[in-house]
This record gives sequence, structure tokens and C-alpha cells, in this order.
Amino acid sequence: MIHLLGYSLRALRRDARASDVRALFIALCVAVAATTMIGFFLERVESGLERQAGRLLGGDLVLVKGSDFDADTVGRLEAAGMRLSEQIRSVSMASRDDGFQMVSFKGVDANYPLYGTVIIDRGDGAFDTQGGPPRGSVWVEPRLAQLLGLQLDDELQLGSQRYRVDAWLLSEPDQQLGFEDLSPRVMIQRADLDGSGLLQPGARLTYRLMAAGDAAQLASLDPQLQRWRDQGIRVLDVREDSPSLGRALERAQQYLSLAGLAAVLLAGVAVAMAIRRYVERHLDAAALARCFGMVQRDLVALFVLQLAWLALAATLVGALLGALGQALLVRLLAAFLPLELPAPGLAPLAMGLLTALAVLIGFAGPTLARLRQVSALKVLRRELEPLPVSGWLALGVATLCFGALLWLYSGELLLSLGVLLGGLVLLAALWGATWLALDLLFYTARWLPSTLRIGARQLALRRQASVGQLVAFSVTFAAMAIISLVRGDVISDWQARLPEDAPNQFAINIQPSQLDAFARALDGSGESRSDFFPIVRGRLTMINGVTARQAVPEEAREDGNLSREINLTWREEMPPDNQIISGEWFSLDEGGEPAPISIASDLSERLGIKLGDVLGFDIGGEILDARVTSIREVEWEAFRPNFFVIFPPGELERFGASYITSFYLSAEHQGLLNRLVRDFPSVTLLDIDALLTQLREILAQVSRAVEAILALVLFAGVAVLYAAMIVSHPARAHEGALLRVFGAGDRYLLRVQATEFVLLGAGSGLLGAALAELAAAALYLGWLDLPARLHPLLWLSMPPLGALLIGGIGLLLSRSLRRTAPLESLKLLGEG
Amino acid sequence: MGEQKHDQPVIRVDDLNKTVGIGERRLSILDGLSLSIGAGESVAVLGSSGAGKSTLLGLMAGLDAPTSGSIELFGQQLADLDEDGRARLRAGRVGFVFQNFQLLPTLTALENVMLPLEMAAGRADAALARRWLERVGLNERAGHLPKQLSGGEQQRVAVARAFVTEPKLVFADEPTGNLDRATGQRIIDLLFSLNRERGTTLVLVTHDLALASRCQRRLHLEQGRIRETRDDVEPEWQR
Repeated sequence: MIHLLGYSLRALRRDARASDVRALFIALCVAVAATTMIGFFLERVESGLERQAGRLLGGDLVLVKGSDFDADTVGRLEAAGMRLSEQIRSVSMASRDDGFQMVSFKGVDANYPLYGTVIIDRGDGAFDTQGGPPRGSVWVEPRLAQLLGLQLDDELQLGSQRYRVDAWLLSEPDQQLGFEDLSPRVMIQRADLDGSGLLQPGARLTYRLMAAGDAAQLASLDPQLQRWRDQGIRVLDVREDSPSLGRALERAQQYLSLAGLAAVLLAGVAVAMAIRRYVERHLDAAALARCFGMVQRDLVALFVLQLAWLALAATLVGALLGALGQALLVRLLAAFLPLELPAPGLAPLAMGLLTALAVLIGFAGPTLARLRQVSALKVLRRELEPLPVSGWLALGVATLCFGALLWLYSGELLLSLGVLLGGLVLLAALWGATWLALDLLFYTARWLPSTLRIGARQLALRRQASVGQLVAFSVTFAAMAIISLVRGDVISDWQARLPEDAPNQFAINIQPSQLDAFARALDGSGESRSDFFPIVRGRLTMINGVTARQAVPEEAREDGNLSREINLTWREEMPPDNQIISGEWFSLDEGGEPAPISIASDLSERLGIKLGDVLGFDIGGEILDARVTSIREVEWEAFRPNFFVIFPPGELERFGASYITSFYLSAEHQGLLNRLVRDFPSVTLLDIDALLTQLREILAQVSRAVEAILALVLFAGVAVLYAAMIVSHPARAHEGALLRVFGAGDRYLLRVQATEFVLLGAGSGLLGAALAELAAAALYLGWLDLPARLHPLLWLSMPPLGALLIGGIGLLLSRSLRRTAPLESLKLLGEG
Repeated sequence: MGEQKHDQPVIRVDDLNKTVGIGERRLSILDGLSLSIGAGESVAVLGSSGAGKSTLLGLMAGLDAPTSGSIELFGQQLADLDEDGRARLRAGRVGFVFQNFQLLPTLTALENVMLPLEMAAGRADAALARRWLERVGLNERAGHLPKQLSGGEQQRVAVARAFVTEPKLVFADEPTGNLDRATGQRIIDLLFSLNRERGTTLVLVTHDLALASRCQRRLHLEQGRIRETRDDVEPEWQR
């Protein structure tokens, strides 16, 4: 075995000039470069984006509970190396002179904010700052100034203390969009809250312990998270709970992994094509080696070792390219990634090597096994070639290996199995279709003019090779198409979720008497708005006759929805973005006691509420019972008023409601805001434009990354096609040279070869379109959670694009044939 | 056939050299070789294995380029033409018969015979091609692909293909090398009878002395040079 090590290395070095060895090397390099590049890049951008998302959350990890955190919790976070910041939030009455207003205050410490900056205005323009207001003073939202007639440096009474208004609070990085926070916001030093009377027992306080750190530090806390949850602490994890961004990030990540997989698949296709030629080329050498007495085991080891050396070299070069590529990508995107990206780790490197090996074993293994069966007699009798490897075996092993990689990358076994099975069925169908199509081509070719006929016949008659190429190219085209399709759909889905005219203003506290006038004011300015939703505030106190706090699962006892009033509404129709996931929307004539209600799925999951449960709401001291008859999935990301609980009309009206609406205000209509503030002083206007802008920026960055990766996959696809064409070049060269001998001119050769390439390309394009359409539908429904749709443009564009691409590459390669002497291209003549 | 004159050579080779590189070493295959072949002549190129017979044939046919020296085919300097031009020069005027047949595997027997016609005339004359298949006794197999034919049948198709354009010159490279003796004999008879009938110039590469003796001239290739033996009697087809 030892002597084989050196020998295999020498043999590979001698072999390195062969086109198939080069193609193998290039393909493996592409696979490794793509996975490491995407791996490195994904890892860095992911943590960068998480950091961005962390700003919205206030930290990478946020612990929330109703009382102060003990030293143990703080200690564990500090031991993990996290930076910490503590906050207390609550609502209280603020007053100035004889004006009173409910405010929601936030006590911060010197480390606030962990990410991003606070924007304030001291009367001379907005600026970024960090840390909270100076001791003894507060920063307040400008609308509190309107409500209480406040000026800068005025004093605001909060609890038992008075605080100087130091600046207007314009924006906080961790500003949450939640309806618990409808009151004007006030920021204060946490230490100033002591002795203010605001921290009395019984006050509804929320303590937030926010922590920031890198991915490794965060991961080291994973085992602790469940323990905290068990203690009744609400744990917000940027990886799961990034507000509004969660799904978008997740999808971007899925997309990038998908793109990486596509690149690997492309490389695998190239390896499968190259290895065929490699094996055919080595059959003679293998037979000779058998003649000279090499045992089968050594023969196999020799070739396996050679390929292992090749894989190792390709991994090193590929990883280097991947690292350079991701650095380039980050530089390219620097303008769009205003994030401080952590250095790449080593994990993607291991992934790269693993990928190279898997690709080699999966796509080359079965074909390589042919060399084992070589008979020594082949030296004497050329026709004694070992049986070509069964296409099904090769396909099966390749699919299995690809499935394993898919599992490794996606971490989803079921999905991987589905893809595997679906892939095999599709490939079988594809195989059959190409077989039939080639038959048809062969018989119809007789009516074609001679150049076209020769080209078409070459394709039809080299059945085995042509089917292989058609399948390989169509898989390549499909992979490229899917990555482009999904990119377009992912991005347009994001844009659909956050359209330019997404509501950027909320108006709350609209009194019933103001409804008509308010609607007129909005509609008169031509701004789009949602319906008016009535709001009645009530507390969920009982579930099935038991105190809610006892009825819910233990970890939900501290849930904010139990301690504070939640917004209830009534409505005849289901809101447009909602979707019933169980039960049925109540009908008007249903009536009966207790009243039917519909609740949001988040609430039912968190509190363990099921269909048929009877909930008791405390509304202004009166208990109202209602039975859950439907559970809705609510699109919280839609930035429209949404509700946990919806009653049918006729139940809540008597409690007296205020109304809420959302609308879009364009920049040129900002004057409307002032009019609304002036004409409806009691209505509270919430501007979420800054938040939307921030979301859009993040999505734009992710889209950029997605596009860069798309370019990479397309490049890999072209590289693979090129490698595959190089590999199949010798067979074409032979026929071309033969035609040359009989006096075929350049144009004749060009027409023959163009016919073959164009047919191959157009056919692959058409099959690729079919494959891509099916695979995309499966992906959308199964993985990306997007609606499936038909892509007519795909069907129209792929065949000509395929013809163009394969034709271009093919003719480029055959140019050399048209320039070299025929004798070099083929062994026409006997010896000497 | 009486118009065949020996004064206007079909091929003229002057001071031809061909060396090939093997690593650092250069190996001279043809070394200052000169010859001239007139219209209607039948010429055998003889020599041991590795003597450069096939190399010479490839060079004369313009399938390969010499290291130095000049080759004139039909009065045209091959060095003045590019690959495309050399192909056009061959089209319709030069026929080939190879040791390993070299039929296009994707075309039927008939289509293979039609191929040189298409190159030369730009149109497929199926009737003419069919007549030639008939001439070599393969009319029945016209629609068969090469792989459905025996070696002898394939070579007969190749002979039909070589003569279908009524070329002035036919190169044959060990045409019987891959055939059994009886089949080979039939191919040779066919070759010479067509040569006789059409007055074609025939250049035959072989190491078979009996076969060579049927040609008017025998060029012995030894160490890159030519030594000629010649029948002073009438060429075989005039006997």
C-alpha cells in the first residue's frame, strides 16, 4: 500500500495534462470554492445581519421578567463574555402643572444601547448619542410635548420625583412596534428610578436584561436558555425572535444555502461527466497493469488514491478561492453592509473538504468501479471493454450523496428525503423523455439537409453519451434557473410585504364621534389607509373557569399578555391578511352563550389555549366570557392593525371603544400630520417610517447578497458546462476531422457542429425549464413557504438561452478543430 | 483513359522533411525526400513499420503539415493554403480508403457514400451514390449503419465513397490491414479495377509486396528517403 502512495502521486502528475483530469479538478474546485465562499460569507453576513436585527431587539439575547434579575443570571451572562445592559420598563402617569398623560418609561443604564445609537434633539437639530439622559433628567417623545405643552428644560413629574426635560427623543434602536407601547415614551436613567416610587411592589414592571456577543459566545449559552425559560424568564433570541426580520433573514439564509447546494450539484454533474472520460481513457492502462500482474485491490487503490490526491489539491485551491471570493464579496457589498463583520471561522473549510469528498464519491464512485472489472485480455482484444456502469446505479449513488449533503446543509431530514425521491422520479422521467426524443430525432433527421442531418444524427446515435449530456445539462440549467427564479420571487415577496406604500403611520385613540371627520381628512388627501378597528382593552383573567395564571403552562405564567390589558376588537369579516388554521370564522347568526371569538395562533401557542376553551376577560371590572371557535394565523409583519382576539359585533360595543387605523403618508404630505395633530389633539399618531426604512435597508442588503450569490452560481454553471464540453470534445473532434478529410470546408463543419450544439442546448433548455418549474414549485411549497406560481418566461427563454450557451461554448471549443490539421485530431492512418 | 499523361504531375514533393519531437529528442521521419507522381499512375509506398509511410501519405493529402519542404497537389502549393483551403482542394478530387474504414458511424451506408458528393457539389445525389453502392455489391445494405455491416462490407462502402466523386487521386492506407485474406483480395481487386476503369491516380500504402507488385511504381521508404523500383513493362491495367 505504501508504495502505491508515491506511485499514485507520480501517476496523477503525469496525468495532469489530460482534459478530463483538469475538468475534474476544476469541478471539485468549483464545489469547494462555492461552499466555502458561501459558508464563509453566510457565516459573516449572518452574524452581521443578526447584529443589525439585534439592534431592533436591543441585544443578541434579551431576558425579560417581572422582577429584577439575580446575580446568578447576570453572572452567567458575564462569564460567557457577553456585554450587558439592564432596563426597566413600565407605564405610569406623568404630569406637568395640571396636565396628566399616561407614558411608557424606560430606565436605561450607561451601557445602553448595546447596538446602534439613540437620536435626540436638544433644539438645535437631531444627533446620534449613546447612553441615557444625564442623571436627574429625561428624554421624552415630542408628542408628549404637544400633549402636555412641554418645553425643553421644563420639569416633568414622574412618580414622586420631578425630572428636567433634557432633549426630545426621536429614535431608539430598540424601539418596538407593539401596542403595549402606545403611550408616549420617556427615557430615564435606571438609577434615577430608585426613590421615585415607580418601582413599588405591585407596579407592573418589566425587567429586561440585554446581552450582546458573538455567535460562539451566544452558542455557549444555549444549554442555559431552557433553564431560564423554565424559571419563567422570557428569552428573546436574535436567532428566533428578531422582530419582523425573522422570516426574511431565515429565507435569505435558506436561499444562500440553496445556492450553495446548486453549485455543488453543478460541480457534481461536471465530475460525473469528467469521470466517464477519465475511466475510458484508463481502461487500457488498467488492462495493461492487470497483464503485468497487479491485483485488483491494488488497481482500485491506485485510482482511488489518485483521485484522493486530486480532491485534496482541489480542496486547498478551492478553499483559498472561496476565502478570497468571500473577501471580495464583502468588499463589493461594503457599501450595503454597514456592519462590522466578524472574521470568518474555520467551519466552512471542513465543510468544503467534506463536500469535495462527497461529490467525488457520489458522482464518480460507481463509474470508477468500472476499472475494477477490466480484464487483462483487453490488451489483446479491444472489444473486451467492461460493461458500462449502469446509469441507474450511477444516478442512484449520486442522488444519495447529494441527499446526504442536502441533509447536512439544511438539517431537515424529511425535506432531504422528499428532494431525493422527487429528484429520482424527475430524473427517471427526464431519462425516458430524452431517450424518446433522440429516437424521434434519429428518424426525422433523414429529411434534413446534410449538414443538419449529420449534426442531428451525431446527437441521436451517440445515445448513451447524448442522454447523459442532455440530463446533465438540463440539471445544470434547472439549477441555474431555480436559483434565479427563487431570487426574483424571494425579493419580490419581500417587496410585497413591505411595499413602498406600506402604512407608515398609526393613528390610535380615535373616538367614535371623530371617525367620520378623521376618515374625511385622510381620504381627502388621497392617502391609502386600512379600516378603522375598534379597540376595547381587557385583561385575560380566566381560562375554562380557572385563573389564567394557573391554567397556562408553567413557562407562560410570566407572559405579558396575562399581566397587562390586551387589545380586543370586534369585526364581522376576517381581516384580509389573516388565515384560519383551525376552527371556523364565526357567522353572525351564531349567537349563543358564551360569545364565539377568534384568537391569534401566537397567543394560543404561548398560553396553550385550544379550540372550545372558554376565556374570561376583565373589561373595566366586568367579566365577559367567550368561547374560542377559531384560531387565526396573523401576519404581524404586514404593519396593519392586528389583534390577538376578535369578537363578533354586538358583544363589546357597550364597553365603549376607541378606534385605530394605519395609513401611508408620503413625504410630500407631511403637512397632513400637522393638520391631524391640530384638528384631533386627542388622537395619538405613531410614526413608524424610521422602522420601515430600517427594515427596507436590511432587506436591500440581503437582496444584494442574494444577487451576488446568484452571479456566483451562474458562473459555476457556465464553468461546469465548459468542463463538460471539454470532456465530450474528443468524440466530436474525431468526426469533425473525418469530415475535413473529405473536403468539408469551415462553413460545412460549422453548420454540422452548430446543429448538434444548438439541438443539445435547446433540448437541455426545454427540459431544464420543466425541471426547474417542478423543483421550484416543490421548493416554494415545501421549504421557502412561498406560493407556487407558473413561470412562462422560463419556458420561453431557456431553450434559446441553452442553445446560445451550449452553442457558444461548443463552437468556441471546436474553433481549434477548424484550425488544426486533421491528422492531429484523429488517428486516421496506420503506424509510422 | 487514353488521355492520362505522365507529364503534368498530380503530386510533386520537393526536399520534404518531417521531424517529430519526443521529449528533448527530435526524430527525423522523412529526410529530404523528393518525388513526383503523374496522373493515372499507380504507386505503392512500401516500408517497414515506422518507416514513415503513413506520414508521407498524410502530408501528400494535406492532412498534416511538413517540417520543411514543399508539396504540390494538383499544381497547388499546399503551404499556401490554410486548413479550409486544403479541405476545398481535396473536395471531390481526392478519395480515401483507410485501414480502419473510418465511416461516419452516424450515417447510413448510402449517406456515407453521399457525403463526398455533398462536400464537392453541395448537393446530395442519392441516385449516383446508390449506383456506386450497387457497383461494390452493397445495394441491399444502403440503409444500414456502419455498425450493422461486417468489416469487408464497411471497406466496400469506403471504396464506393472514395470513388463516387470520380476523383483524380485516391489514397489508400493499408486498405486490407483489418480484413481477412479473401475479403482483402476482393477489396484490392475492386480498387484496381476501378483504378483501371476510371484512370484514377492511386497511391497505396502497404507492406504487402504482392499487393505492391500490382502497382506501376514501388517507392521503398528507408530511413526517411525513397528508393524506387519500377516496372518497365506496361502497368498492370494495361496488361
